[in-house]
Amino acid sequence: MKKEDTVKLISAEGFEFIIDKNAAMVSQTIRNMLTSPGGFAETEHREVTFPEISTPILEKICQYFYWSLQYASGKETEFYIEPELTLELMMAANYLHT
Amino acid sequence: MGDQSLFAELGELESPLVRLCIEKATQSGDAVETWRRQRRTLERLPPQLAGSLLHRLHRRRLLYPSLLEVFKYSVERIDLSGENSVDAEWMAYLGAFQYLHSLNISDCHRINSSALWALSGMKYLKEVDISRCSKVDDAGIKHLLSIQTIEVLCISETSVSTAGVTLLSSLKKLSKLDLGGLFITDTALASLQVLKKLRHLDIWGSDISNEGASILVNFPNLTFLNLAWTKVTILPNVSSIACLNMSDCTIQSMFKGEGNKARLSKLLLAGALFKDIANAFLYFDSNSLSFLDLSNSSLHDLSFLSILHALEYLDLSGNLIGDDSVKYIASAGANLKTLNLSNTRVTSAGVAVLVGHVLKLETISLDSTATDDLAISYIGMIPSLKAVSMKRTHVRGVIQQNGGDAECVLSLTALENLKQLEKLNLEETPLKDEAIIPITNLKQLTHLSLRSSFLTDASLHHLSSIPNLINLSIQDAILTNAGIDSFNPPLSLQVLDLSGDWLLTKDALLLFVQRHSDIEVRHAHVTTFQYDNGDTKYHLPLQTSMRTSQQRRFSSSPLKSKMAAIIDQRLKYSRAELLSMQFASMSAAPFGEPPTSPK
Repeated sequence: MKKEDTVKLISAEGFEFIIDKNAAMVSQTIRNMLTSPGGFAETEHREVTFPEISTPILEKICQYFYWSLQYASGKETEFYIEPELTLELMMAANYLHT
Repeated sequence: MGDQSLFAELGELESPLVRLCIEKATQSGDAVETWRRQRRTLERLPPQLAGSLLHRLHRRRLLYPSLLEVFKYSVERIDLSGENSVDAEWMAYLGAFQYLHSLNISDCHRINSSALWALSGMKYLKEVDISRCSKVDDAGIKHLLSIQTIEVLCISETSVSTAGVTLLSSLKKLSKLDLGGLFITDTALASLQVLKKLRHLDIWGSDISNEGASILVNFPNLTFLNLAWTKVTILPNVSSIACLNMSDCTIQSMFKGEGNKARLSKLLLAGALFKDIANAFLYFDSNSLSFLDLSNSSLHDLSFLSILHALEYLDLSGNLIGDDSVKYIASAGANLKTLNLSNTRVTSAGVAVLVGHVLKLETISLDSTATDDLAISYIGMIPSLKAVSMKRTHVRGVIQQNGGDAECVLSLTALENLKQLEKLNLEETPLKDEAIIPITNLKQLTHLSLRSSFLTDASLHHLSSIPNLINLSIQDAILTNAGIDSFNPPLSLQVLDLSGDWLLTKDALLLFVQRHSDIEVRHAHVTTFQYDNGDTKYHLPLQTSMRTSQQRRFSSSPLKSKMAAIIDQRLKYSRAELLSMQFASMSAAPFGEPPTSPK
């Protein structure tokens, strides 16, 4: 993957997830941050930090992004969510508008 | 992915992943156990997510009193209306909610006055709805008085008396007060005068008289007033009122008196008896009157309509008015969007008078009138129409041409001019298959209702070509199993009502249901789904009961349509789940029917 096509998402503990830009833009919030003309630091460095989202949750979110792209292109599978993660994942999804 | 009905429920949530998470979290009692002890996360839940989670648990019958505790820091609005298991124990937990500002426990029949004690002293509670909790009396009101933040209070059809209502004068922030169906007298209104912020007052079905009504001028902010079913005959000039309901009253005069003219936008006078209809509309400013309901009010002369130029909704059903009155409707028709002339003496000639004068008309009802196919041709000349109802009229679907060989023209072709037509109701008109054919050209049609014993499978076949049909009803027809088998419904179809189609057998219907699991089929053979729910939290809903100590004024209140005496248990399951249960429990018989062996 070329650097211009990727985005870095950083969790509360400092873990960095480098994912495809299209995947990240499944999140309306991230899409706005990256495409807005307002001159966000995020747009320039293509890095977004989420001090409120823990690493396992952010990892699951990234999995969801890829699953969502896959689903939209016709491969209809089930997205499994571990029961203990549901609440935190829900809050992160709400924040990210995914 | 998922089911249409699931997404309809959670429609307010725009985010798909949030929906998936809530679905997973509320899948079963075990799922709930995995997260109910995640205290710190639960405390951080934003209010609308917490609310969605709580109400989803409730709809899935997974909510019980001690589970409420996990939401006590996050939930702000709760609606448990109609839930018969809600009692003092539930209230005890709800009373501990820190930030609750809206509570709806209407139709919760176990709630009594002492259960309300648990709510005393709540700091942020603004809206309380305990309508139809018939066990709540004046003692219950005393507990509510300690909640000084209350702005909206609904206690209609409870057992509160005039004495209890008098106490409400201490809730200074009250802006909406629903006291419908209570036996309160003028003294109650007198004591409520101090509530200067009151905007909305419902005192329908009470013992208020003209004397009490005269006090109403002392409420400076009153915009909504409901005096239906009272003895009030004279309404003084309460100039702040914008919406007035005096249905089923005998009206001598309205708004006669000194001061500014009231600027009314909505007037409900269904079933009213007028002493002087010509002057009834003179004393207020009718330039903004957009909604007028005069159904069943023994009207003869509609000349007063000509001054009402802003009318958008007009209901004149059930009055003895004929074609000569239609010119007055036409004169007020410039902004008219909805017109109800059912059960009147209007004929096709009357409909002709409307053409050209109602350029914004979207909905028209001519049910149970002596109109016929000629009226359909006039209706075809009102291109703004989106919904047409002509139940029980003399429509036959054909017009005999004059002279010589009886050449028939299909009358419904006139409807093809209505490019925006979405809903068409022609129930109880003797239509035949050929007459239906023009309907197939109505590409925007979403709802179609037919009920005629002449309709055969041919009609079903014709109608399958309407691309956007959502709701199709062909009742009392002679449809056969073969017709149902070969029916290819449009992709958008969600409901197929075949009630009264007596030739259809249960097997054929079940086969259809199996093949088209996303369509809801209605027929006597396809009744309630069997659900095997071992959940002890399931309670049979109780019927609304009459009070024993005091006779309730109305065995069925005017607002009965709002009361759901039976909760449709099917609502808690998605359609796919219901079907899997239906076919899984083949040994269990549906309600009231002996088990039939599968063919």
